[in-house]
Amino acid sequence: MDGIHSEQITAAEVPVVRRPATDDSMAARARVRLQRAEGVARVSFRRAGRGTGLARLYQEGCAKLRMPAGLPGEPAQAVLINTAGGLTGGDRFRTQVEVEAGASAIITTQACERIYRSTGDDTLIASQLHVGKRAALAWLPQETILFDQSRLRRTLDVDLASDARFTAVEAVIFGRTAMGERVHQGHFQDRWRIRREGRLLFADDLRFSGAIDRALQNATVLAGNVAMATLFHAGPEPERLLDSIRDALGDNGGASVWGGKLVARVVAKDGLHLRRAVEPALRILMGGSTLPTVWKL
Amino acid sequence: MADPQLLRLLTWLSPAFPVGAFAYSHGVERAIHDNTIRDRATLVAWLSDLLTQGSGWNDAVLCAASWRGEDVAELAEAMAGSRERHMETTLQGEAFVQAAEPWTGEGRPAPYPVAVGHAARNQGIALDAVLTAYLHAFSSNIVQAAVRLVPLGQRDGVATLAALEPVILDTAARASQSTLDDLGAATVLSDIAAMRHETQYSRVFRS
Repeated sequence: MDGIHSEQITAAEVPVVRRPATDDSMAARARVRLQRAEGVARVSFRRAGRGTGLARLYQEGCAKLRMPAGLPGEPAQAVLINTAGGLTGGDRFRTQVEVEAGASAIITTQACERIYRSTGDDTLIASQLHVGKRAALAWLPQETILFDQSRLRRTLDVDLASDARFTAVEAVIFGRTAMGERVHQGHFQDRWRIRREGRLLFADDLRFSGAIDRALQNATVLAGNVAMATLFHAGPEPERLLDSIRDALGDNGGASVWGGKLVARVVAKDGLHLRRAVEPALRILMGGSTLPTVWKL
Repeated sequence: MADPQLLRLLTWLSPAFPVGAFAYSHGVERAIHDNTIRDRATLVAWLSDLLTQGSGWNDAVLCAASWRGEDVAELAEAMAGSRERHMETTLQGEAFVQAAEPWTGEGRPAPYPVAVGHAARNQGIALDAVLTAYLHAFSSNIVQAAVRLVPLGQRDGVATLAALEPVILDTAARASQSTLDDLGAATVLSDIAAMRHETQYSRVFRS
């Protein structure tokens, strides 16, 4: 397939290939194609005995899925791996997850997703999740790290059956300040559409564009913080979790419950402080299930 | 020239129109409690952000989509970022639809910006006019809450609205050209303030 790299090459390091082309636009097109990383991961889980087993698995391009052996009675776990080691303009990464009736799964990522500088094109990350009757899914990717002049458009589309449970987090770090990195310019859009039985249960659109580092200073935005996360939970009686989630997030966060869902946001001065708030909150939202090892502090 | 559309807009988006807007601070009561909004300058900055890259902008995009005839009631309701924001937009929308019955007849309840956009279309009111009026009402209502809580003088309140004029006009112009793809906000701490308003010990406002 066009545009798929072998997994040894990281997207940011793909050499620009010079071709003896007379047509500049043709050369430009070839270069763009060579620089693209593309990954597709599709996985579905099925109830098997008293636990959850893998039903189908498909992986293509820079997307790989690893399935650590689960503990008895625990949800199945899948770890998404981007073998391109990061994404840049024009790269695409698509994930589709289905959790069939009665099954229970946790998806996470092996590493923080790094979004590198783009020369113009957007990086696209699209995730589609489907959670069936009496099924449960936790979508717990590690933090996304945005580099200066990155351009990321991300979508999360979720379809829940009437009694499905769903927990999600998306955490973003606008430049690793400890490494002296800041996002002076860039574009970041994150669109969530979560439906229950076809009806929109929650919609969220984050959008940071242009001089991001400057906007982050604003009191309404991040007040000088560079890390933030959104947490979502839909399950029976979310109001019972509200007080403990508020305690876990502390003074830099907020949480609310209405219409059968819990939504929380939190900001922090760096990735470590964000984890210190998000990790205990996830433990609460996950109830008795063990958090993936990568999320432990 | 007599202009029935202008007259209608003035009525619908006047503070006297019975939507109960005075009961909502949109999380600003919390930001004042936290001393984040403490004077005219911090109020202008907060409101500018809501209008250009926050909930005010999203409201304007939804209002424009509704004016064009798109059914965005479900989307607008799902976009409310907290329990009190949800109450603020759905209850004002319901009240607006009922109060507008003398002009529009019986209507379907919808979140506030969607209901306003729909009624404006129904009455042949121009999109940029309804967006300007909606964003003015949105801002003016929050200014009144701040005048009460900071407290600020009425003259500071009026000066805030004067300072926001170019922002409101520019936002209305941008929103009139927008599609639903333009939805999006960066005002994370404003969302958090709206959530934290729920646990504020002493409160005058419902949001």
